[in-house]
Amino acid sequence: MAKPILDGLVVCDFTWVGAGPITTQNLAMMGATVIHIETHNRVDAIRVVPPFKDRKPGVERSGYYAPRNANKLGLSLDLSKPEAIAVVKRLLTMSDIVINSFTFGVLDRWGLGYEDCKKIKPDIIYIEMPPQGRTGPHKDFMAFGALINALVGVTFLTGYPDKNPSGTGTNYTDHVPVPGHLTFAIMAALRHRRKTGEGQFIELAQSQSGVSMVSAIPVMDYAVNGRIQQRMGCRHLELAPHNLYNCRGERNWIAIAVYNDQEWESLKKVMGNPEWADDPKFAANEGRKANEDELDAKIEEWTSTKWHRQLMDELIREGVRAGVVHSGRDVTEDYNLVQRGFWTYLMHPETGLSLYNHSPMRMSKAPVLSVTPANMIGQHNQQVLRDLLKYSDEEIKEMEEKGVLN
Amino acid sequence: MGSLADIRVLEFASQYGAYAGKMFADLGADVIHIEPPEGDPARFAWPFYKDKPDREGSLKYLYHNTSKRGLALDITRPEGQEIFLRLVKTADIVIEAFNPGYMKSLGLDYESLKKVNPKIVYVSITPFGLEGPYADFPASNLTVSALAGWLYLAGTGNNKPALAYGEQAYMMAFCYAASGAMTAFYDAEATGEGQLVEISMQEAVVTACENACQYWDFEKIERRATEEIEAGRNVYECKDGFVSAMFSMGDNRRIWDPFWQWMKDEGRPDLAEIFGSENFRSRAYRATDEAKQIFKEKAEPFIKQFDKTYIYLETQKRRTVCYPVNDPKDVYENEQLNYRNYFKKLYHESLGGEVTYPGEVYYLEKMDWGLKPAPTFGQHTVEILKELGYADEQVNTLKEGGVVIG
Repeated sequence: MAKPILDGLVVCDFTWVGAGPITTQNLAMMGATVIHIETHNRVDAIRVVPPFKDRKPGVERSGYYAPRNANKLGLSLDLSKPEAIAVVKRLLTMSDIVINSFTFGVLDRWGLGYEDCKKIKPDIIYIEMPPQGRTGPHKDFMAFGALINALVGVTFLTGYPDKNPSGTGTNYTDHVPVPGHLTFAIMAALRHRRKTGEGQFIELAQSQSGVSMVSAIPVMDYAVNGRIQQRMGCRHLELAPHNLYNCRGERNWIAIAVYNDQEWESLKKVMGNPEWADDPKFAANEGRKANEDELDAKIEEWTSTKWHRQLMDELIREGVRAGVVHSGRDVTEDYNLVQRGFWTYLMHPETGLSLYNHSPMRMSKAPVLSVTPANMIGQHNQQVLRDLLKYSDEEIKEMEEKGVLN
Repeated sequence: MGSLADIRVLEFASQYGAYAGKMFADLGADVIHIEPPEGDPARFAWPFYKDKPDREGSLKYLYHNTSKRGLALDITRPEGQEIFLRLVKTADIVIEAFNPGYMKSLGLDYESLKKVNPKIVYVSITPFGLEGPYADFPASNLTVSALAGWLYLAGTGNNKPALAYGEQAYMMAFCYAASGAMTAFYDAEATGEGQLVEISMQEAVVTACENACQYWDFEKIERRATEEIEAGRNVYECKDGFVSAMFSMGDNRRIWDPFWQWMKDEGRPDLAEIFGSENFRSRAYRATDEAKQIFKEKAEPFIKQFDKTYIYLETQKRRTVCYPVNDPKDVYENEQLNYRNYFKKLYHESLGGEVTYPGEVYYLEKMDWGLKPAPTFGQHTVEILKELGYADEQVNTLKEGGVVIG
């Protein structure tokens, strides 16, 4: 088996909460040594948010923190102490990447800004990921992913027309738009460094990656056509039927998406060719779209007497794009994901066997996956300080006594 | 300045992968967007420039294909396959999004291409993976979002969830495809050996499920939207629209306390007393129905009297977070984005006018980022064939035979 691609790469990771840790986990899954620096004095905010193993709160028990922090080494440092900054500076001499998601300017105040780091490691790749960028009137604004969603239009454009806008129900931009773009930029910078010997500064404004990935086309549509697009439930701009339909039981929905007239014929066949469906107004997409309310009501009348999984099988067999709406539980038990080895359980000191996933980047030469469970705060202090940074046992003991490792 | 100009990417992923090619192209890579003779389906997607249906005017096509060159090619014909194989010899990365088995049936799968170019990085994007029980299922953005557990999260209680705007299942796959491609290229350049990067949209989308799978693993709860999990975390109506508030996040008091202190500053000590109580300062209480009801009756009318920008600025001033739910017009006019010159205008000769585009997702200090208009249909066909050594006569024969268009 080939070595992981980023084997030997060292990442000095000051990120917390969402988009940062997910980005560094991408690197850690590809084999980088990611050293996650935290402090007991102010723990990663997400460590105190549920779910907790057995519903018992605890900073090492959060299933929110866990799945975005696999494969990392935990180093605890109280950065208000000069000795801690000295440790970081030693770490920098052997780091390839420094990444932080602190409020604007925090690392500069600690003497760990880009210019400072470059003096210690001239080819460092230094990453900042402020919510709205490092320049401009809102550069200091606080945000979480769900708020960035609101800012960039995801929330407004997602929901049902007769209800409040609702968004994705998650901190979406943290999960894929920001880490997905940033991982690409980091790899481009690593390649540039190998070619030229130069490191560089990277800035990713989370708001901008949100617009680019989610609301780009509606914003362009407004700019060139003056139109303000609206939320539309699970419907499609152009196609019908394209929706969720109630099936038997609670929260049992089936998604059906018909892309052309042939697929419509197939759906009709599964429905048993009811008379209403032969109405000429439903024959072509244009007519189906124009009569969508009636069409959806008719289809739902039919699905509501069916079992959603059974119905999905029948529809798929006839070539209709269909899928049941899986919950978090269903996903962990999904036949396709299980068969493809997407899930794994790793043994964690506090939470026992816990669920982790494979990276969606499936590489044929070396797997990109979760190998070790989420780090505990300072769990790898000894390993990092002694083995990597070569501090003596006495020096480490002194740090402990002075509270440097709090 | 550096760029990716020495990297060549062949991308014929149409609406299922074009954005991955865009990420390379905007950093300067030579990305060749290959279209079938009938045109990239994205060219026919609504909305259009000035609302005029036109092969060159689809905003989706234009956005996803900036900075690329265009080749219209029939790869189902042996002469077309010959052209493609010649291109592969000159390329670093291939990105395709055909159904599993299709490229193999043409003799153009990874195993075949690596014989022609061992360094080639081959990226496959499919709904459920190249292999697995769902591999051949007909799929769409909606059905993949459903089967990946993501859709379920965009709703509360027993309400039907809403589909995120903008075909995010495809977009997430693009992001991982681009990062995976760049990483595998980084490796291939060093080792002389490429590899297969396989992206399953379903797996990509599962990574946006936040902590939903861990909610099941740790607490045996099938979670839905984070909104309404606690009082103070939801979309609320305001004077001129909606705001998205995150006054509460688990046991963190740092963002809750400024909320009720703001009420005091607005001359409502009565409300500050209620929401500043020890009860309301705890996550456990805020999660109760009683707390949510009190919030609805007392806090929501308070929020409703202000407009969204006022709320945004006043809460930021106090270091808590409540963001405007921006519509596409608000995003386009956003002060911060405009201060940073995020939106770019490109003149399109084929349209006789300017189109506005979202700009930089990231700033890389040492690499040029820029936008050029997407290729018109077959715009670079002849140029590319000549680069490959085809004589004028051969080019004409290929054009006359309908193997290429340009």
